[in-house]
Amino acid sequence: MALLATLLALRNDARILKIPPYLSAFLILIGVAWLLVLPLDEYSRNTYVSENALLPGQVHTYFTGSEHDVFRAYRHEVAGLVDLPAQQRSDKLSELLRASNLKVATQKYTYTPSGRNISDENVYAVLQGPRADATEAIVLMASLKTMDGEHNYSGVALVLALARYFKRWSLWSKDIIFLISGDSTSGPQAWVDAYHDAHDPTTIESLALKSGALQGAVGVEYPAGPWGHRYDKLHIVYDGTNGQLPNLDLFNTAVNIASGQMGIGCTLQRMWHHGNSYPERLQTMLRGMLSQGLGHATGPHSAFIPYHVDAITLVTVGDGWHDEMGLGRTVESLFRSLNNLLEHLHQSFFFYLLLEAKRFVSIGTYLPSAMLIAANFSITAIALWVRSGRPQEPTPNPAATKPVPRSASQDAATESDHKRKEQEQSQQEDERKAVEHSTVIAIKDGATAIIPTEVLQISERPLFLPTAFVIIAHFLGLIPLAAFNHIPVEELRSSFLLAANLTTLLPLATAYFLSQFNRPTHQESTLIHCFSLLFLGMYLSALATLNFSQSLIVGLLTAPLSFVRRGKGGLVTALQFALLVAINPVMVVNSATYLSKVELLDVLVKAAEGWHIWGMWTQVVVWLVWWPAWFCGSVVVALGLF
Amino acid sequence: MLSSLSFLLFSALTACAYASSDYHERLLLRPLPQDTLLASFNFRSNETSAAYEQQNFRLFPRSLGQILRYAHTKELHLRFSVGRWDAENWGQRPWYGAREGSNGVELWAWIEASSEDEAFSRWLTLVNNLSGLFCASLNFIDATKTIRPVISFDPEGDHTSTSNLHLLHGTLPHEVVCTENLTPFLKLLPCKGKAGVSSLLDGHKLFDAAFQSMAIDVRPVCETLGENCVIEMEQTVDMVLDIPRSKRPRDNPIPRPLPIEEIECDTSKSYNAPDTCYPLDRKMEPAWNLTEVFGKPLKGACPLTEAEGPESEALCINTVPERTIHANTTGQYTESLSASDTLRCYKLPTAAEFDLILPEQRLTTGLVRGQPHLYASRSINGHGQERGSVQAVIKNPSPTDAVEFAYLESLPWFMKPYLHTLRAHVSTSSEDPLKETYYRPAVDRVRGTHLELRLVIPPASTLTLTYDFEKAILRYTEYPPDANRGFDAPPAVIRILGPFQSTDRKGLYLRTTPLLLSLPTPDFSMPYNVIILTSTVMALGFGNIFNLVVRRFVGADEVPALGGLKGIILGKVQRIKARFGKA
Repeated sequence: MALLATLLALRNDARILKIPPYLSAFLILIGVAWLLVLPLDEYSRNTYVSENALLPGQVHTYFTGSEHDVFRAYRHEVAGLVDLPAQQRSDKLSELLRASNLKVATQKYTYTPSGRNISDENVYAVLQGPRADATEAIVLMASLKTMDGEHNYSGVALVLALARYFKRWSLWSKDIIFLISGDSTSGPQAWVDAYHDAHDPTTIESLALKSGALQGAVGVEYPAGPWGHRYDKLHIVYDGTNGQLPNLDLFNTAVNIASGQMGIGCTLQRMWHHGNSYPERLQTMLRGMLSQGLGHATGPHSAFIPYHVDAITLVTVGDGWHDEMGLGRTVESLFRSLNNLLEHLHQSFFFYLLLEAKRFVSIGTYLPSAMLIAANFSITAIALWVRSGRPQEPTPNPAATKPVPRSASQDAATESDHKRKEQEQSQQEDERKAVEHSTVIAIKDGATAIIPTEVLQISERPLFLPTAFVIIAHFLGLIPLAAFNHIPVEELRSSFLLAANLTTLLPLATAYFLSQFNRPTHQESTLIHCFSLLFLGMYLSALATLNFSQSLIVGLLTAPLSFVRRGKGGLVTALQFALLVAINPVMVVNSATYLSKVELLDVLVKAAEGWHIWGMWTQVVVWLVWWPAWFCGSVVVALGLF
Repeated sequence: MLSSLSFLLFSALTACAYASSDYHERLLLRPLPQDTLLASFNFRSNETSAAYEQQNFRLFPRSLGQILRYAHTKELHLRFSVGRWDAENWGQRPWYGAREGSNGVELWAWIEASSEDEAFSRWLTLVNNLSGLFCASLNFIDATKTIRPVISFDPEGDHTSTSNLHLLHGTLPHEVVCTENLTPFLKLLPCKGKAGVSSLLDGHKLFDAAFQSMAIDVRPVCETLGENCVIEMEQTVDMVLDIPRSKRPRDNPIPRPLPIEEIECDTSKSYNAPDTCYPLDRKMEPAWNLTEVFGKPLKGACPLTEAEGPESEALCINTVPERTIHANTTGQYTESLSASDTLRCYKLPTAAEFDLILPEQRLTTGLVRGQPHLYASRSINGHGQERGSVQAVIKNPSPTDAVEFAYLESLPWFMKPYLHTLRAHVSTSSEDPLKETYYRPAVDRVRGTHLELRLVIPPASTLTLTYDFEKAILRYTEYPPDANRGFDAPPAVIRILGPFQSTDRKGLYLRTTPLLLSLPTPDFSMPYNVIILTSTVMALGFGNIFNLVVRRFVGADEVPALGGLKGIILGKVQRIKARFGKA
C-alpha cells in the first residue's frame, strides 16, 4: 500500500513529466540495440525442418542421362522462341508441353498501371497425379524474363524438361502445374489471381484448366543462353508481397536439398559471399528487413504468398561448376518432398528473419524491437496528453508556506494564469504575509485539510480543433496516394518534384495560416502532437505484427517526431524544422534512391505497379500513416516560427 | 464412332443375356490414346430369390447376402474409386458412368422399412456391417453424410412394391482405397481370383492405375413382374493402366531416363548433336501382353462359366481391326469377331494359362472412342478462411442436342451454401437453364446439405454453376488428426436425363472431382499453452487465498508481551500443555 501511495503521490510530482523524452529515447535505443544483438549465436537459432513429412533429401534423384540431351534441345527451342510474338510463342510452348502428354492452357492478361500497358500471355500445363483426385496441386514455374530483365532460357527449358520427366513417375499424390509466365511478377500474379477467381475478367482471362488447392510453388530463374553456363550458388528468394514470408520449412527444405544433397551452396538477400561472421549476418538481416519493409514483389513466387501458398524462387548466381542437371535434381528432390506433404505447410515459422541460409531469428525474439520503437510514440503521446491538462508552468511547490521569490513568480505567470496573478497582485499589500498561495479548506469524515487552490484547478482541454486537424491531416494523405497511383508515367517525375516542394512548404503555410487566427493555442498544438503520435504508435505496433520490418523502418524514420516540441522561434525551432524537412517521406524516398543509385522514376513506376497488380500496401503506410504523422509534427514545430 | 457403336452393341448383348446363366464373367480391354489401356472386369452371379430367401447361397456370397437380409436391403450399390476419368483423352466412360463412383467410397441402397427412422436405423446397420466386410471406414457414414436423393438415382432392379423402399446415399470422399478393399472384393467371387479373368486382378497394378473403380451392385431381376425373380450380384472393376508404367518390372519400378540410343531424336533440328536431342513422338502403339501389364498370367477360364455360346467368351478386346493380336496358350481357345471386327472375344482354355500378345505397331487408323455426353469440372474459388464459392463448369459437346441432367451435391454441414447466390449461366443463351431445385439445408452437426438441381444445357454451350458458401468454425475436438490438410467435400453426381437414354436401367452418369475445403484451423498447441498459463494464474490466486483463509490473524496488542528466550520457552511449554490437555 505504501508503494502504491508513493506512486500516486509521484503522479503529482512535476518531475514526472520530465521523464518521458528520456524514456522514449531509451526505448528507441534499446529497440535498435536489440536488433543489433540478434545476429549473435545467443539470440538466433539454427534452422531445422519441422514438418516430418517433408523428409528433405531422402530420395535418390534420377534426372540425368538422356534427360540432359533433351534439356539442351529444349534450351535451343526456348532460345528460338523468346523473341516471337506472344501468340506464336505460346503455341510453341503449348506444343512442347502437349508432347509430354500434359493438359495445356493459356491465359492472356493486360494491366495498365500508370498509363503503361503490360500485357502478355501465360502458358501452363497440368500433370494430373496418377492417383490424385484433383484436390491438391503444386506449381513449378519459370518466367520468360528474370527479375533482372534477362531472358530465362535455361529456367524455362528446365521446366519443360522436368515436365516431360515428371510425367513418367507414378508416385505423384498431387497434381503438378507447370507455369511459364510472360514476365516475372505480373504474369504469375495474373495467373494466381485467376486461379482463385480474384481477377478482373475484363482484362485478365479466366483459367480454362484448374486443379486443386495449391500447396506450394517453386520458381526457377536460370538465365543461361543456349550454350549453357555453369553457376556457383543458388540464390533463394523468399520475400512475398507486403513482406509476407513463406513457411520456413519450404526454405529449409530447399537449402537442405541444395546444400546437403546436391552440394550446391545457398545464399540469400544478394549476399554472394557470406562468411558467417557477425557483420555479414547483420548485413543479411538488414537487407532482408529492407526488402520486407519495402513490401515489393521479389520474384515470380511473391504473388503466391498472399494466397497462403508457400513459394520460393531459386536463382542461379555466379560462375562455378554446377550445371543445369544439378538444379533439375534439386527441383526434383524438392518436389518429391512437397509431394510427401499430407497437410498444408503449417508446422514451422511464418515470421522470421534469416541471417544466413541455416540461421534465423524467430518472431518472439525480434518482435520486441519494433514494439519498443512503436511504444516510444505512445509514451510521448501520453506524456503530451498529461502535459496538455496542466498549467503551462506549474508552480514548483504550490503548497509551500514560504513566499515564492517575486521574480520567479512573475516569470511563471502566463496567460492562463492571469486570474491568479491578479489575485496575487491584490494581495501584495501585505508583503509579510507568509502564505502566498490561496488555499481551500476541505472537511471530510471529520478530517480537515488545507489544499492549495492550484492543485484543485481543472484545466479544460479543447478537443475539437486538435481532433479535426489530425483527422484532416490523415485524409489529406489520400490525395498523394491516389495521385501517385494514377498519374501516367510521363508525368510521374514532375509530380514527384511538385509533391516534394508542396510537402515541405505545406506545414509552413498551414502554420502561418493558423497563426493568423491566433490558433492553435499552445495547449491545442500539444494535443495535435499528442493525437498524431498516439495514432502513429498504434498503427506501428499493429503493423509490427504484420510487417515487422516496415514498422521498424517507419518507426525509426519518424522517431524525431517524439522529441520535437513547439518552440518560441529562434534557432532551435528552425533546426528542428530543418530536421523534419530532411526526414519527410518524399525527401526520404528521394535521398534513398540517390544513395542506392536507383532511378527515382523506376521506384515510382514500380510502386504504382505494386499498387495495381501485386496488391502492395506500402504506399498506404507511407501516405496514410507516415506522412500525416510527419505533417502534424511539422506543423506543431512550424507554429513556433510564427 | 465405330468403336462406340460396338461398345453399345456389346452392352446390349450382355443386357439381353441377363438371367440366362448363373455365373458370367468378362474382361473387356480397350486401348486408349496416350499408351493407356482400359480394362473393364465384369462378374455377375445370380441366385433365385427362393433360394436367397431360404439362405441357400450357391454363387451369391453368403457373407454379403446375410448382411443384406438383416438390413432389409433390396438393392445395393457400393463403389470404391481412386483417380479420375480423363474424359478429354479417354472419351466416354465405361458403362456410361453407371458403374463408377466418386473418389473414395460411395454407397447407396434401397432399404425396405415402414418409416424413415426405421430405414435410417437399418441403413446404419448396413454401413456398419459392410464396413467390417470390406475393411473400409463405411461406419463413418452417419447422419451428417447421408442424403436421400430425389431425381439422381432410380432403382435398377424389379421391386414388387416400391412404396416402402427408402433410398439412402452416403459418400466418404477421403477414404483411401487400397489392397485391403480388394481382397474382400475378390473373396466374394466364386473363383476368388484363382481362375478366370479375376486371376489378373493384382493389388499392385490395380492401385497403380491412373483410374480405377470397383463396384458391387445387388438387385432383384424378374422375368415378369414378381415372377421368376433372381437376385443378381454384379461386381465390376474398371481400371486405366498406363502401359509403359505397368510394364516396368516390380523390383525395378523407377522410370530412369532411357539410354540416349533408345530415344528417337529429331535430326532435322539445326542444333541436333550427339549431346542434344529433341525427342520425337514415335506415334506407335506400344507392345504389351496380359502378363506384363497385369503382373500375373491369366490362369484359364473359371469353371463355373458357361461352356458354350457368347456368354462363355470371358476375354474381349475392343480395338481397330488392323491391330495385330496373338493369343498364346497351351490349351484350347476360340476367337470370335463381332461389331465390324472391332470386338475380338476369346473363349478361355480351362486349366491352362492364356496370354494375349500385342506387338508394337504403327496404326493407320486412329483409335476411336465414344464422345462423352457432357464434360464437367468443379473447383473452389476464392481464398481466405471465412467464405468461398464453388464453380462447376459443364460443357455440352453435342452440336445438335440440348442435354437435360440432374446435378446432385451432398455437402458437409460445415460448408454452408448460400442458396440465394446460386447462379446457373449458359454461354450461348440468356434462358435460365435451371428447371427445378430440390434443397434440404444442413443442420449443424446433424445433417449435411442436400442440393439437387435439374438443368438443361443447350447444344455446344458451357454451363457455369456457382454458389457462395460460408465456412463454419469447428470445435477443436471435431478436427481430424491431419486438420491442416483441409476437409474433402464429395464430388457432384451428374445424371443425364435426356435425350440420351441408356439401353438398360443403369442410367448415364458422370462425377466431378472432390473438393478440398480449408477451414480455419487452430494452432493445436495453443490449448496446452492456455492450460499452462491458466494453471499458473490459478496456482498464484489459490496460494494467496488459501494463505488468507487458513492463517490466524492476531491483533498486535493480543500477542503476549513475553519476549526473549524465556518467552519462546514458555510458548513451547504452553503449546505442549494445550496438546496434552486436549488429549
